[in-house]
Amino acid sequence: MRRRPQALTEVREAPPRQERKRATRVLVEHHEVLRGLIRRLLETPRSEPGRRRALADELFDELRMHELIEEEIFYPAMRDVTPAVGAAWSEHRQLSDQLAALVRADPRTGRFDRELRVMHDALESHAHLDEERQMFPEIERFADEEQLIELGDRLQARLGRLRSSRRLRTVHRLQRALLRRTAR
Amino acid sequence: MAQRALDRLLNAIEGDARLDRPGHRLEQGLAFAENLLGVTGGRARGFLHGVWLGHPLHPVLTDLPIGSWTTALVLDLTGQKRAARAAVGVGLAGALAAAVTGLHDWQHTHDNARRVGMVHGTLNTLAVALYGWSWWQRGRGHHLRGRLAALLGYPVIMAGGFLGGTLVHRHRIGVDQTGGQLDPRHFTPVLAERDLTGDRLHRVRAGDVDVVLVRADGRIHALENACPHLGGPLSQGWLRDGSITCPWHGSQFELRSGESLNGPATAPVPCFQTRVRDGWIEVRRAPKPTSSPPGSALVHQQEVRP
Repeated sequence: MRRRPQALTEVREAPPRQERKRATRVLVEHHEVLRGLIRRLLETPRSEPGRRRALADELFDELRMHELIEEEIFYPAMRDVTPAVGAAWSEHRQLSDQLAALVRADPRTGRFDRELRVMHDALESHAHLDEERQMFPEIERFADEEQLIELGDRLQARLGRLRSSRRLRTVHRLQRALLRRTAR
Repeated sequence: MAQRALDRLLNAIEGDARLDRPGHRLEQGLAFAENLLGVTGGRARGFLHGVWLGHPLHPVLTDLPIGSWTTALVLDLTGQKRAARAAVGVGLAGALAAAVTGLHDWQHTHDNARRVGMVHGTLNTLAVALYGWSWWQRGRGHHLRGRLAALLGYPVIMAGGFLGGTLVHRHRIGVDQTGGQLDPRHFTPVLAERDLTGDRLHRVRAGDVDVVLVRADGRIHALENACPHLGGPLSQGWLRDGSITCPWHGSQFELRSGESLNGPATAPVPCFQTRVRDGWIEVRRAPKPTSSPPGSALVHQQEVRP
């Protein structure tokens, strides 16, 4: 005799709290968050150094979290799908270096503007020219749809946990303080 | 047989993804330290990569420990205790310098080369530990222990050296990766001049060659669209103070000459001569300085008539 599916368990299953998305979409949406921060930074004049600094700090947090979720979850899973992972990983280093340069620049100076412009270009290069235009379409063609959705869940969950992590926030604050303290 | 066994060994190292996590952790630590010390945007960056030398500095320095420790081996055999200790010490100093430059180069590698680099560095660290202990024991008069440690360290540094050679000859790390092509030898139209807007990078084809065009300082610059370090697409990079930056590892190149300013690339990007004819931008390969006498056919060909 065939067993009937247990209807009860299905009902008991909690509905997913977040909308299920492909991993690539989760990442593109987070790219938009980063772009928005840069746009707001570009719109903030030199006369508002406090706001510039706060936005740069927020960019620091978000970009680091973006790198973390890609490096911990997305890139290792995609290594067998595309050979472009190694280069994308290296581009993170360029973003981290530029982020450090931006944080070390005084928001009242022209140097901050220069570093911000390079930050904008470096982010566009990684997020748009590399990932959104080349790597993600390739992944969406060749990777398993189920896997992408499952990865998307993991990325969203991890991002949520990182955002509410007080430890990570403290580490970032400490890093920024050290970078600013040693700036010349 | 030996060749096949070594090949299998290298394949095993290259395919071992377990090396990635510690590798990236190490790189993040290095990145933070370099940013704190101001190495990333400073002069030390290019110095450590060997930009001033025209090729990587690290392989030059590795001769110091290998040479000194080979000398120590011979001096141990001939029983010259003090000289042997001095040779071990010189090797240690060289090994530290090689470690700094090696880490500096390694952090800008990918995938397989990165993993081989991890094992290369681990073996060399082990060798440094053995020779360090050897030096210390010799100083305290325990020459037998010192010799034994050196004897153990020697095959380790040889194995490390072998993997270092693999990185250069198999993975082409530190090698100038430009193809050495000669084309296009004659001016070739690539883009309508009005389509080249200022401060943006344009990727065009000149025959079989991928070229990046940019207008800066009232001039049109044309460079090959591949970084000499690992072949990164320069057209996806960005501009800063008259230089173009490779998006992969941040090497900056002077637009005018293609010279590397900071590394990891130590070789220049090949440049093209440009001119505008009938509203079209034309490029041709900038020839290497020639030893032909003035007035010869080759020199005549190379003169640009704008």
